[in-house]
Amino acid sequence: MAEAVAPQVFTRRASGLVRVMSPYSAFIYNILTMGVIFPWTYIWAPTAFQGSNLTLGIVFALLFELPIALAYAWLATALPRSGGDYVFQSRVFGGGFGFTVVFAFFVVWILQWVALSGWLLAALALAPTFLALGVTTNIHAFTTLGSWCATSNGIIVISVLNALAALVLLVTGFRNYVRFQYFMWYAILLSFGIVLVLFLATNPAAAHAKLNGFAAEVDGLKNFFGQAKQAAAAAGVNFKPPFWLFGTLMVAPIAWTSLQWATYSVEQGGEIKNAHVFRNQLFILVGSLVVTAGMLVLLALAMQKGIGTDGILVASSGYWLGNSKALIGGAFLFPNMIAMGLTGSPIVVALIGLGFILNSFQIVCNCYIGTTRIMVAQGLDGLLPDWFARVHARWKTPVNAHIAYFLAALPVIWGFNKVSEWTRWTLGVTFANGAVMTLSALAAALLPYRAAKLYNASPGARYRFGNVPMVTVFGTLGFLFGAFMVGSFLFVKDLGLAYTSDAFPYWVVLGTALFGLVVYFLMRQSKASKGIKVEYAFAEIPPE
Amino acid sequence: MPLWSRKGKSTAEPTRLFYASDIHGSEPTYRKFLNAARFYEVDALIFGGDLMGKLLIPIVRDGDGTWRARLQGQNHHVTSEEQLRDFKKTLQTLGFYWQEMDPDEYRTYEGNQERIDELFDVLAKERLTEWIALAEERLKGTGVRVFLCGGNDDTDEVLSALDDAGLDRVVRCENAAVELDDEHTVVTVGYSTPTPWETPRERTDEQIADIIERLMSEVPDPSRCVFNFHCPPLDSGLDTCLKLDASVWPPTPIIENGQPVYYGAGSQAVADALARYQPTVGLHGHIHEARGMTTYGRTPAYNPGSEYGEGVLRGLIVAIRGGEVVGHQFTSG
Repeated sequence: MAEAVAPQVFTRRASGLVRVMSPYSAFIYNILTMGVIFPWTYIWAPTAFQGSNLTLGIVFALLFELPIALAYAWLATALPRSGGDYVFQSRVFGGGFGFTVVFAFFVVWILQWVALSGWLLAALALAPTFLALGVTTNIHAFTTLGSWCATSNGIIVISVLNALAALVLLVTGFRNYVRFQYFMWYAILLSFGIVLVLFLATNPAAAHAKLNGFAAEVDGLKNFFGQAKQAAAAAGVNFKPPFWLFGTLMVAPIAWTSLQWATYSVEQGGEIKNAHVFRNQLFILVGSLVVTAGMLVLLALAMQKGIGTDGILVASSGYWLGNSKALIGGAFLFPNMIAMGLTGSPIVVALIGLGFILNSFQIVCNCYIGTTRIMVAQGLDGLLPDWFARVHARWKTPVNAHIAYFLAALPVIWGFNKVSEWTRWTLGVTFANGAVMTLSALAAALLPYRAAKLYNASPGARYRFGNVPMVTVFGTLGFLFGAFMVGSFLFVKDLGLAYTSDAFPYWVVLGTALFGLVVYFLMRQSKASKGIKVEYAFAEIPPE
Repeated sequence: MPLWSRKGKSTAEPTRLFYASDIHGSEPTYRKFLNAARFYEVDALIFGGDLMGKLLIPIVRDGDGTWRARLQGQNHHVTSEEQLRDFKKTLQTLGFYWQEMDPDEYRTYEGNQERIDELFDVLAKERLTEWIALAEERLKGTGVRVFLCGGNDDTDEVLSALDDAGLDRVVRCENAAVELDDEHTVVTVGYSTPTPWETPRERTDEQIADIIERLMSEVPDPSRCVFNFHCPPLDSGLDTCLKLDASVWPPTPIIENGQPVYYGAGSQAVADALARYQPTVGLHGHIHEARGMTTYGRTPAYNPGSEYGEGVLRGLIVAIRGGEVVGHQFTSG
């Protein structure tokens, strides 16, 4: 009998497809998109759900997101294309559904994130950095500049410049962004590391004293922490809350507003090298999720050690309960602001500030990158005018889609900062993006049944639990966990749409969905008048 | 609707074409392509080249009734006839060829590229012959014709299957100007400009320009001509891909300042012809990742891209009337 061999594949000379973004770049992209240094969890959850355990809540969010990220790994390897969620959902549920959900809840609602990233840059990155530089260098102009950054006009100007800078960077070539991303990554890691060290190197009593000194320099206040704590208690903060399991569970949807973006790289799946390889997608999607959750947990533990429960509750009361006594220079006490107050070194302040400035900028970039890829895919499918899908001959980027998104963001930036009711109207932002991911998890669960040929040809098809495809199990779990969290955003008072007693925020969500539906039917009608059925863009042809 | 009914007048129904390319041996994708005629209700199917698959999977018998193979970076141990059938079905979807062989036979191929290429040609020609027969069978009595040609990745030996067959519904359109309907003509060029992969059918831009000139001299009205050119126009956005270093095998991306370099891999001759002749439409393939459209004066040019490896047929429906495109739709079936 002939000796057994380990056969290899035979190849011939034929041209091949090569992609640009390495799996490592995509992994970084997801971590930065999750905005590890802008975790709302720390300033939202502690007073919204008093008695909750931050660390445990983040771990719950990780466990809830895990099956969603795993389900996405199957989708991303089966359909490694740009336009991600739109492609998955239109393939499994049909074009009308896929377009409406992803256009309304991603493309439209992520405009809010463009405005929000400008706010992050102005109020949470530039303002604290300049304020802290003013204190550490005794240069008053820095303090004045820092205070201006936190005003509504300052935020608008900074937001527009932020969006414009991202537009210029991205339209002149995606490679420019990828190159810049490495710089952002290492600067942000350094910034994050410094914040951790500052928290770990102190104790609550010393930290509160340093914050007093910092606030005295910035605002001329005496006993800042004592006054802030007193005001927080008056606003309803219990500084010795008993452990609350349900409250801890409710931390998960808040932490999920960060962790849900672990899957955002799928929007440019067509640009990721070896995107069809299963382990690459596990590294990109699940790996970035686990690393980011780990970083969030580390920061929560470090904050607990450095400023104690009292410090965390005071910081949170400034954001969630409107305790103006708990702001320094008009800025919320995000971890970076507190860390800046703990150091006397302008270099350390500048390094912390640089990380936060860059991550704010990265967030506006990822708004453009993801949504323009979706718009291009929708333009090519005939569901948006062809103009959106045009690629610039020299720069090879979808310039029109970028410009359109920038222009659409301008009124949102203005409204976000000038219209007092805007935040109340747009409470649905927590719901909308999560709903897309939850529905994509459902699409993953149904993939083996609704697109069997596609699924069977994908590398994930060989993994099963007994007779059940593994993707169906993870997709179902992901859908249930996601539904729990988007359901919480819909109905739990301190999590989103139910925050105010009126129904208007719900109507806004419904309105965006209807807007998506109207665009779909208008484009469908327009195509039909030219002898083309738009449904053909998604319908799978039977091979037999 | 029969193809030869009166069309092309401004008041008439437009002629509807379905275009796809670069299916690279994928059986289900080709079957979908044939079914597209009925599914999308089009009048003609136009294929833009690159019929041949790129990979051949040796399925080596172990001697104990099992088989071994390597696919997508993973070793597969196939232990039953049923598993073997499923495995072959997956290979068909992916566009790969396969050959069952004993270990001794496998060893005769190891490191012998000439012998491997010969086996590729035999298997690919067999598959193309089957595909031609399938097209004739499926399109019989429909009035729909399928215009087939090769691309830069196809060998002349394999394409000779088109010469050998008795054709009715299948039109061998390579290097020819062929009547499409009462007033439109299809002109087909399957060559590409040189690639880092040194594929079987590459030509210089000058040679491609000469071929186009010769073919256009046979066309009565260039404005009512459909260009079916495998290679897209240079620097059009339909030809954007990574620049590769051809000095190593397989070619690897060129990195400058830590980043890969993009460039246009299309043909200047094709771009010049689109600008000069202003045909009805330009249909292109070759660069799978550069799905999109652009315009040359009044002429729209398209590349629907390709995702044959997932069994997905990427294509384009174009409605033309009186020398103009009245509607188009990219498809992903």
